Amino acid sequence: MELGFVLPSASRESKEVDLAIIGAGPAGLSAGIYAIRAGLSAIIIDKGNAGGLAEDAPFVENYLGFEGIKGEELAKKFKDHARNYVEISERNEVKDIIPEGEKYLIKAESGEYIARAIIFSTGTTHKHLGIPGEKELFGKGVSYCVTCDGYFYKGKKVAVIGGGNSGAIAAIYLKDIGVEPEIFEFMPKYMCEKAYQKMIEDRGIPYHKNVRVTEITGDEKVTGIKYEDRETGEIHEFAADGVFIYVGLVPMSELAKKIGVETNKWGYINVDQKMRTNVPRVYAAGDVTGTAGQIIIAAGQGAVAALSAYEDLMLS
Amino acid sequence: MGYISEKDKEYLKGEFDKYLKEKVKLLVFTGDNCQYCNVAVDIAKEVQDLHDAIEFEEHSINDELAKEWGLEHVPTVVITDGDKYGGRIRYVGLPSGYEFSSMIEDIIDVSRRTADVSDEVRAQLDMIDKPVKIQVFVTPTCPYCPKAVRTAHRFAILNPNITGEMVEAVEFPEWANKWNVMSVPHILINEDVQFIGAYPDEQYIKYVVEAYKKL
Repeated sequence: MELGFVLPSASRESKEVDLAIIGAGPAGLSAGIYAIRAGLSAIIIDKGNAGGLAEDAPFVENYLGFEGIKGEELAKKFKDHARNYVEISERNEVKDIIPEGEKYLIKAESGEYIARAIIFSTGTTHKHLGIPGEKELFGKGVSYCVTCDGYFYKGKKVAVIGGGNSGAIAAIYLKDIGVEPEIFEFMPKYMCEKAYQKMIEDRGIPYHKNVRVTEITGDEKVTGIKYEDRETGEIHEFAADGVFIYVGLVPMSELAKKIGVETNKWGYINVDQKMRTNVPRVYAAGDVTGTAGQIIIAAGQGAVAALSAYEDLMLS
Repeated sequence: MGYISEKDKEYLKGEFDKYLKEKVKLLVFTGDNCQYCNVAVDIAKEVQDLHDAIEFEEHSINDELAKEWGLEHVPTVVITDGDKYGGRIRYVGLPSGYEFSSMIEDIIDVSRRTADVSDEVRAQLDMIDKPVKIQVFVTPTCPYCPKAVRTAHRFAILNPNITGEMVEAVEFPEWANKWNVMSVPHILINEDVQFIGAYPDEQYIKYVVEAYKKL
């Protein structure tokens, strides 16, 4: 077993700041560093751990300066770096945001914060497929997190539904810890980066293309999936002990919407090039803006958002 | 060279200086045929060295204290004031990976002799006047798990009838199997009520109350 040591950041005090950053993924952490360096007072609040979905990535091979690093380690580096500058309050969910004149009152599980500006770097969460068996068998073989649950399937067969980058990475991770995954992709071609395609081929992981998974089967436990060959319309069965679902992401923009921030029809927050939303002194950065779901882009957007906040609060 | 890096130690010292108030005991129960006992002891010693308020003790899983607290597995790590918290805030298996952060937060809360919950949740916690044991199955690579562990431990800090126990599913596969643990965090209350996921306090307490009402 490899021993890692993840450190907590547990700021508890209520306070007034220039900038509240909601969400401590790569976008939020980067925004925090830029905000403090620019001269703003800031706090980052996250309902879970700092690191965001980057933590879920078994490995990352396209972040500049790191040829290959576990998502968990990269997230730790981000957090260590940001913590040198900015207070991070983890496992502290923001429950409500109330505009008060020119400021915002942010009510969290522990503590209340008053901020002149807000960056929403709330990210995304895993999307559900909405097929029979998915909900019923959650925790009985259906999972959305390979780093959490992959271990339980050592030596067993599992289906990974979704062959995009995250599904591909999940399958590679599973194979490398001794699980036997097969990937089921809706589109008639590889939907992941070429680099992952090669890793999948090198490891001999079956990648079923042009298939629609119609049902997860099982009573007390997952026994497999049913899927339709989209070309022939034939229904096939695949026996498996587990099903990992990686069919895309949904934005977490409910809090932002509550204070009037506009989103597109999928719920991603609309921003301009400076990461400003339609609401003055409210910004968004990272996956919640609906860009490519890449760590490096999120970090970049976080920096832009913080600099825009600085411009709006200090220079105008 | 220890387990915890020098840089991390510096950070933890700062946190402990800021938040630690009263004494905290870090008890590690060890025994035979235990792959991770030495590691657990070494980590606890390293944490003890970071602040004067932290006292480390090694105990045998066969000693009186282990019997009194109903401890059976090794390693078990208990965080306590040595008094009212007894052995109710504990980790069965190594608190490594993400659970290391839970252990640090527990040390801070035990030293503060309190934990944060909303008034509404506190009111429900205060109703519980019979023993309730919350077990949280985790894997060390699960980013969502510390939230569920910490909730169990915060509840245990606030109510003397509640025991919060993390169980490391990778180290105890048969135990995990017995309860059909296939996704973590998997929460088991009084070996009866079960749920999966890192729910907010308001939902978590409902399951605890449900198990309590069955007593």
